[in-house]
Amino acid sequence: MDFSVFDYISVNTFWTILFIIHALFAVALLGALTHQAVSVLLPVRAPAAGFMTRFRAVPGAGYATAICVLWVITFLMGAWIYIKYRVYIRIPLERAGFWKTQGFFELKEHLATIGLGLLPAYWYLWKNKAPDYESARKWVTVVLAAFCWFAFLVGHVVNNTRGFGS
Amino acid sequence: MKTKAAAPSEKFRTFALVFSLTAVVVYVLCDLLKLPLFTYHPATGRVEWGHALPRRGEGPVMYWYGWLLTTLIAASVMGLLATLLPERVTRRVPLAALWMLPIVAVPIMAYTLMSFWTK
Repeated sequence: MDFSVFDYISVNTFWTILFIIHALFAVALLGALTHQAVSVLLPVRAPAAGFMTRFRAVPGAGYATAICVLWVITFLMGAWIYIKYRVYIRIPLERAGFWKTQGFFELKEHLATIGLGLLPAYWYLWKNKAPDYESARKWVTVVLAAFCWFAFLVGHVVNNTRGFGS
Repeated sequence: MKTKAAAPSEKFRTFALVFSLTAVVVYVLCDLLKLPLFTYHPATGRVEWGHALPRRGEGPVMYWYGWLLTTLIAASVMGLLATLLPERVTRRVPLAALWMLPIVAVPIMAYTLMSFWTK
């Protein structure tokens, strides 16, 4: 007996589910990277008191492996749904004249890929506490967090402009 | 028995730093010089080696997957080759380049998308 997921859900539902999974991983990645970036930009010297202080007080090193895994999973999910985006989302966007929206989406893909390339060095810097690495560790983390925020916001706007199934 | 987690080795350090630096540079060059390892036609599922133009009646083409593979292969090869170098050489890899290169890459990548900004 042949099993096909499309016997149970529509094609649009399938791609929408994949997109939601991609987005949920992106939320987790964004939260972890933001915590880590704030912890290196504004390190807490005294015991935590108050929400913002506790937000900054996370042990950043403990996030590094999870962030690498989340970036890779989010990236792979994005790479998968990118195929559908190119045919079913981008072409209607072109016809509607949303050129800048597409431009920002392309830039998001570039930054996500550059971020992927940075992960081995990022992971190494966090797994080595040598003082020589402190500055590089801090700024690589901040760059990754900035790229992640950009990608998240652009993805959100593009999905608002035309999502799967719309 | 509790064991202390081993720190990544010196060779891994060299591989990781060179991989990351090379990946940024190669990816930007792939985009600027149109160097995908393959071209994907999403409407038909066709894959062609190198940079191919859209075919009539077969929809758009995608180069991003090709750029990605080119980048991963080139960065891996450079990272592995760098591990063969003596430590006094690999210790000279500038760590600041790890965050400066991605920042420099942003306006370059934005420039390659000029057709989207000016329509």
